[in-house]
Amino acid sequence: MSKHRMLRFFSVLFAVALIASACGNDSSGGDDAAPSDAAPGDEAPSDEAPSELAGTTVTVTGPERDESEANAIQIALDIFADANDMTITYTGDADWEANINTQIEGGNPPDISIFPQPGKLADFARDGSVVPLSDAAAAATAANWTEAWTVFGNVDGVQYGVPVKTDLKSLVWYQPDRFAANGYEVPTTFDDLLALTDQMIADGNTPWCVGIESGQATGWTFTDWVEDLMLRTAGAEVYDQWVSHEIPFNDSRVVDAMTTVLDLWNTEGAVFASGGSIAATAFQDNGEPLVAGDCMMHRQASFYAAFFPDGTAFADGSEGAVDVFYFPSIKGDSPVLGAGTLAAGFNDNPATMAVLEYFSTPEYAEARQVAQTEGKDGGLSGFLSAAIGQDTSVYQPLEQSFLEILANAEVVRFDASDLMPADVGAGTFWTEGTSAVNGDITAQEAADAIEASWPS
Amino acid sequence: MDKVLSTLISVGVTVALSLALWVGANVLFDQARNNWRRFNAVAGAVVGFVLLSILHGNRLLVAVGPGPDAVGTLAAFVWPAALGAATFGSTAWYLSGVDGPRHRLIAGIATGTVVGVVVGALLRSAYRPGFDLAALAIWTAALSGLGALISTRRGRPAVHGALVGAALGSLLGGFGSAELGAGNMVGAIAGATFPAAAFGARIGLTNNADERGRARIDSGSRAYIFLVPSLFFITAALVVPTIRTIYLSFLDDRSENWVGIGNYTDVFTSKTSFDISNWPDIFTSRLFYLGTAMLIAGLAVAISTKKRDGRAVELGGPSIAPLAIAAGLLVFATFSVLRGTIMNNLWWVFTVTVVSTALGLAIAVLADNTRFESVAKALIFMPMAISLVGASIIWRFMFIARDSSKNQTGVLNSAWVGLGRLSTGRGIPTLLASVALGIVFLALAVKVARLLTTGKLTSLPIPMFALFLVGWAWVRFVGLVGDGLGGVVISSDGEVIAKPVLFVQEQPFNSVWLMLILIWIQTGFAMVILSAAIKAVPAELLEAAQVDGATESQVFWRVVLPQIATTIGVVVTTLIVLVMKVFDIVKVVTNGNFGTDVLANDFFAQAFQFANRGRGAALAVILFLSVLPVMYFNIRKMQQEDT
Repeated sequence: MSKHRMLRFFSVLFAVALIASACGNDSSGGDDAAPSDAAPGDEAPSDEAPSELAGTTVTVTGPERDESEANAIQIALDIFADANDMTITYTGDADWEANINTQIEGGNPPDISIFPQPGKLADFARDGSVVPLSDAAAAATAANWTEAWTVFGNVDGVQYGVPVKTDLKSLVWYQPDRFAANGYEVPTTFDDLLALTDQMIADGNTPWCVGIESGQATGWTFTDWVEDLMLRTAGAEVYDQWVSHEIPFNDSRVVDAMTTVLDLWNTEGAVFASGGSIAATAFQDNGEPLVAGDCMMHRQASFYAAFFPDGTAFADGSEGAVDVFYFPSIKGDSPVLGAGTLAAGFNDNPATMAVLEYFSTPEYAEARQVAQTEGKDGGLSGFLSAAIGQDTSVYQPLEQSFLEILANAEVVRFDASDLMPADVGAGTFWTEGTSAVNGDITAQEAADAIEASWPS
Repeated sequence: MDKVLSTLISVGVTVALSLALWVGANVLFDQARNNWRRFNAVAGAVVGFVLLSILHGNRLLVAVGPGPDAVGTLAAFVWPAALGAATFGSTAWYLSGVDGPRHRLIAGIATGTVVGVVVGALLRSAYRPGFDLAALAIWTAALSGLGALISTRRGRPAVHGALVGAALGSLLGGFGSAELGAGNMVGAIAGATFPAAAFGARIGLTNNADERGRARIDSGSRAYIFLVPSLFFITAALVVPTIRTIYLSFLDDRSENWVGIGNYTDVFTSKTSFDISNWPDIFTSRLFYLGTAMLIAGLAVAISTKKRDGRAVELGGPSIAPLAIAAGLLVFATFSVLRGTIMNNLWWVFTVTVVSTALGLAIAVLADNTRFESVAKALIFMPMAISLVGASIIWRFMFIARDSSKNQTGVLNSAWVGLGRLSTGRGIPTLLASVALGIVFLALAVKVARLLTTGKLTSLPIPMFALFLVGWAWVRFVGLVGDGLGGVVISSDGEVIAKPVLFVQEQPFNSVWLMLILIWIQTGFAMVILSAAIKAVPAELLEAAQVDGATESQVFWRVVLPQIATTIGVVVTTLIVLVMKVFDIVKVVTNGNFGTDVLANDFFAQAFQFANRGRGAALAVILFLSVLPVMYFNIRKMQQEDT
């Protein structure tokens, strides 16, 4: 600690006076002082909860910056802010992953940030940047969420994060009409799924739409497939060992899962890639071919509803409507691959903790869902929350079926690449996976390279 | 609109502030000659204000004061700075009116003590030092001794330097060696007061400036008023970060432990940055065979010209072109096999620099004094106006491939697949195209035959090369070999299926498609500079050469080219520096996937996405060091050109 502090001390002495004075006064209200530094007058008796929060300001940042999403978060937060006469501002940041590092390093983090990756949250928790939840906030989180979800915000036995959003990834999108016209049945086991794939190829249909291109995050679709397969072939226990690096990344079970995915994708006639090859096809470009009939199925998360062409109907029984089925399990344990976001605080001010407590409530989830549905003009919101005690009527039928899958899941596991260290989870797992999909290297070579990149 | 407005406002405020500072500094130093005390008071106040602002702005000091509304926050922030301004200002005002050495000394020490006590008392508990007394004593003694030595050697009283040295030494030894956050408030006050009092004493020991001294301050200050701001920003934004980056490159990923040159060895042993394990493949590639053939031909020509007129290789001579083509092909053969970010960077540097300069020069020469010169040059220069990110996005659209069952929407693939359909077609256009291609082939064959019969063997390689390429295209086009020329394959049941090129995904030449973007942008730059240099070649030289009977080509190679050699050097070095740092194009088009990663992109990903600070810093330093000699050469060249 001392060496690091010493460096900081001298680097700040060098720092630019103008910049210092320009940014010094925008957030120095009280988010920085250690408790011992607080002026005596601050410790007013706090019998009435609202008065304690009145006049405070809490800043929240997160990676969700799409207008409808950011607005919905802001609207949901404003409900709490107005009730307590305080100010909460949400800022969506396109480059959140890089900027949050810089903000922490510069000693100027927001009060709360929304993490899409529990791995990153754990890193920050261990180096002390993120603070544990207050007792009240932790209790509210435990009451409003099942342990399957709260565990992702738990670092070394201490609760740091509050789940605020849930994505369901083990889904296959399809058109019931087209299935009916061809006499296909929704598969309930993985073998059925493979048999159906073969059947479709034999019938001259293309079973799958796959695309893994996603700009800076190219490859994540592939990691999702591998994770879903890992959960099914190796089981949740091995999955956890894989995530925590208790087994090496190039363990045969991981390589097998990768090989299974690659073999399926490389089967002649199995995949329609609208961009010419899987690696060249943007993940967003799979909705249109599915509706157009270029392929029959597309495995993608619950938020994918947003990527179908305008006017697509969902699960309402109308002609051409798109529906989902559960990506079937192999061992009958119905595992669900999920993802989501977690809110965590960078200081333990009462206002920060009160907002975190609010984040955990079903009221927040409902408010955001309502606002986001409105933002999409009544379409599917793309938002989902597994908070306990929500009024499910705010969700549309398709979204309610997502909630049902979540409720029936015996095993829920978080997206592994979000849990792994960023070097791997947002690095080599994507890039080496992309190389393997592109046919430049084999699954074994990719797994070896990823294992070699795991930070020691 | 909001963003435009706020940008305009911040630009306006910045310009106004800079102007005000500059004017204010000039006005302030105008006072030194005639209003000595006023000058001192204001200067002291400014110094005090800035010093305390820095301490407070960087959160070294506790914010004490009224909360929580905006005015209260501002007040809490401003009052220490205002206190600093008042203390320093009044002391300076007092000192400038007192000549007695004793009074000056007392005033200096007193001010230093007051400032030290206030700063020490306000210091945040996280920065209160737990002193390492031995280090404190050693630093203080060593630096005060050094200061005394410097003072004596410059003919000043030893105590002057000793005081400054003691102040700096006690700061470094006190806060630098201490465990910050472990001490108490008394320690903080003591630690801050001693150096402040020592500085104060040093100032108290000065004599009040006389008339001449004041005049010297007035006139001598002007250069500094201009220099100091830029020096300050260069130090803060360039020098300090550079030193810090070099330091970080020797620490581990979390910047905690010293790892020596571990990060550098990692870079050079990692397969992602340096992988030459496939080198035997160089010798089996088609590029290598072609290149070797050209090389042999070029050498043969060189030997024959050596016999004929004593020079094997000469600018504008017949051996240059085959040798240059051979070199290019062999370099491509090499780089298409060696992998890794460092190799990619070198490939980029070679290709973009050579092609941009050569194309720029060719256009500058060919368009010179033609009717359409200005239009052509404007068109070619235009891509320079597009940002690298914008250009990358444009080209990404051109590179797009679509599934073979769909229409190709990317321009390049649409043309390539179209060509394929043309060559496999049965209609009149196909016939016309194959006849046209055949005529070109025959014309080239006639030319080659004539060269052979007349014995002009030295001019043979280039037409032969062209004949080979056109011949290959022709046999493909008419279907003698393969499925036709272009992006199609013929399936087993005779159906023509589109086969688009995955420009961005297909290794290893996807890197070349990315380079094309930068070439497209930079050719205009090379052309403009070289065109200006060509126009600056004195007309007398050209006339003299023509009078002596030189041909157009001889005039160019022997007169113009030597005249613009320095400019070519500047263009080449500028391009090398620019290409070495290439980042935007790779980031936007592939993000380093598909084997196209380059140093700058890897550095960004390591430093900012994966938070591997040590590795990122090492990559940045490698980049910096490889650019440095070229920069040096570039600046030297430019200076030579000026003189």
